Amino acid sequence: MALLQIQEPGGKPARPKHRLAVGIDLGTTNSLVAARCGLKVETLPDEGGEHLLPSIVHYGSDGLISVGKKAKTFALTDPKNTLVSVKRMLGKGLSELRQLGHYLPYEFDAARDDTAPAVLTRAGSKDPVSVSSDILSVLKARAASALKGELEGAVITVPAYFNDAQRQQTKEAAELAGINVLRLLNEPTAAAVAYGLDSADQGNIVVFDLGGGTFDVSLLSLTRGVFEVLSTGGDTNLGGDDFDRLLATWLIAQSGDAAASEGEALQLANDLKHQLSDVEEVKFTMGDYRGSLSREQFAEIAKEPLSRAMMICRRSLRDARLELDEIDNVILVGGSTRMPLVRAAVAEFFGREPLTSIDPDKVVAVGAGIQADVLIGNKSDSDFLLLDVTPLSLGIETMGELVEKIIPRNTTIPVSRAQEFTTFKDGQTAMALHVLQGEREAVADCRSLARFTLRGIPSMVAGAAKIRVTFQVDADGLLSVSAEETLTGVKSEIQVKPSYGLEAETIESMLQASQENARADMELRSLQEAKVDAMQLIDAVAAAVIADPQLLEEGEEQRINQGVAALAAALENGSSAEVSDLTAALNQISGDFAARRMDAHISRALQGESI
Amino acid sequence: MQVPEDYFSLFSLERRFAIDKKALAANFRALQNENHPDRVAADDEQAKLLAVQKSSLLNDAYATLKSPLARAGYLLKLRGVDVEGVSQGDLDMAVLLEQMELREQVAEAPAGEAGLAILSPIKRDIENRIAARELSFVANLEADDLVSAKRVFHELQFLHKLFQEIEVSEEKRLGY
Repeated sequence: MALLQIQEPGGKPARPKHRLAVGIDLGTTNSLVAARCGLKVETLPDEGGEHLLPSIVHYGSDGLISVGKKAKTFALTDPKNTLVSVKRMLGKGLSELRQLGHYLPYEFDAARDDTAPAVLTRAGSKDPVSVSSDILSVLKARAASALKGELEGAVITVPAYFNDAQRQQTKEAAELAGINVLRLLNEPTAAAVAYGLDSADQGNIVVFDLGGGTFDVSLLSLTRGVFEVLSTGGDTNLGGDDFDRLLATWLIAQSGDAAASEGEALQLANDLKHQLSDVEEVKFTMGDYRGSLSREQFAEIAKEPLSRAMMICRRSLRDARLELDEIDNVILVGGSTRMPLVRAAVAEFFGREPLTSIDPDKVVAVGAGIQADVLIGNKSDSDFLLLDVTPLSLGIETMGELVEKIIPRNTTIPVSRAQEFTTFKDGQTAMALHVLQGEREAVADCRSLARFTLRGIPSMVAGAAKIRVTFQVDADGLLSVSAEETLTGVKSEIQVKPSYGLEAETIESMLQASQENARADMELRSLQEAKVDAMQLIDAVAAAVIADPQLLEEGEEQRINQGVAALAAALENGSSAEVSDLTAALNQISGDFAARRMDAHISRALQGESI
Repeated sequence: MQVPEDYFSLFSLERRFAIDKKALAANFRALQNENHPDRVAADDEQAKLLAVQKSSLLNDAYATLKSPLARAGYLLKLRGVDVEGVSQGDLDMAVLLEQMELREQVAEAPAGEAGLAILSPIKRDIENRIAARELSFVANLEADDLVSAKRVFHELQFLHKLFQEIEVSEEKRLGY
């Protein structure tokens, strides 16, 4: 007998229809939305045929919110109510925002917490999340009208270097705009996806992303539909703007016109840069000066930023443990890769012509659109999968203000790692946990993500309790931490939602500093470990003197106290060798006393007394 | 995905030190393809949570077996050997001397790029030592001599650590 199929009323229709999902590139300067249109995934234009939406929001006196090109016209006339480059503000505290300086002509809301800053506009207090959400709403509406239907979900791209706070706020902005976030996707990965499906074989891919102000490079491997991110690197202070600045300086020097305004020179430099993408040589006038600039000359002028970019490429190769001849494809992303000199430098370094068939401004959005289509279930399971990595190490503070790394940088996510810790003092019933992000060994040099406390640990001697701390990072790169006392099952956990974010520059300088300071860190570590040992010994000796004073011999207490005092003084400002030596000395001084206590305890135990 | 007996059986590999790396990578990708949270991105929270757990387990298992050092430690753990703690008795005096000698060679390399030419043969030397130790680790394990296997494992730990430190100092010289 054939089984009857029963459709639940209001349930899913028996035949799945094409579900609408989009990819969104929420950029610092411009944003785009892409979706599947027939066979291809393409970026969607607005009614005027424009694909790029400037990431600018203006709050008008008439209560109107304008986004994009129209908002841009207010940037000069009404800067306080026109928010630009809001992506730079995501996930940051007020003090970090103030360091951004010239980007911010705004007045901040004094009533807000320092950790959740907002700009005062005539439309009220606006935080980076709500401004980003206004941009996303426009893209959502654009997609709904172009695709003639309701969106079921979106993939939103973020820079690979975005930290937890920045990712969280990107997600919040999307949710505020009523968008169901299927996945946050790293921008370089999205670019690789945009190209990857066409080639559909296997190989190692470099994504070279040079934008206006930032540079990112990622190495990925593709094997039968599975992308693995092998390493990521970059510089948040390297981009097309550097080329403009160097060229402007050259122009001023050539024309001998010291009076030329910097703004004019920069504008001219930018024009010439763009022209050189199409022709070999350009003529220009600057004041009374007439001159010409060839591609060759420009390459010489722009040598420094280019070689810096190549250095970062070399380092990423090393991080990924790949040799140059193992690279199969190089993908160019970002408007600045249109410069022929950049393309030539990339081709020379990697020994192959980079892929350029997709518009470098649109490639990230297209990749996100493809991924969205896969995630919403329009494609079969066998298609492709992305395995991403953590950009920075995650760890926990241990005694001596040191960081114990629990998940190292470049670990494939999702990941769950646990480590056991123990109590430091006798009878300790609570343990404060401090979650950190960064590569350095000292707590002060890493970024604090969250703090929480595990309470209710049963009272035991130091070192007896077993506290298992578990770090879990999901596929979006978001972290949660839990701690459990394994003997009793007492538990505490936290979803890390830090209100402060890490400036991408800070991340880089932290990465650099970690290498420069590896040696200093090791010395610091040995000092801190020596200190921990010393403090434990002092505690133990003090407790013993109080517990069994009758076992002390003539003058012994005084000798012990002297040893303790000397060690305590070394703890203040001694070297690790001094601390270790004095610890050993105190061990010796108190050794006989400790042996007598042990004997006494054993004999008492033998006599049936409880100890 | 069944709850596996151990990481080796998870990837359909024999429980031994020498493994087929290509098969490991291929089986890992196939399993991730089925179990990754992206496969249930449009489903409910329960399904997502389960997928995150499965996928994390796969990543952990893969990382453990991919690294020869982690694989060696894992093999010992499967045999009930505690590899976390290392006591004085676990190490030979000769090994400590070898370590000191190697570290002296590294310390003598001049600063700057000039040192790279000195460090590179030391790295090759360490790689050879690692390869030789791996052979004796396998032999010890096969002979059920877990005490010796543990000792060799700790020696491997030292060599790998030294190798990493040389890489860091190379990177410093290269200006990374």
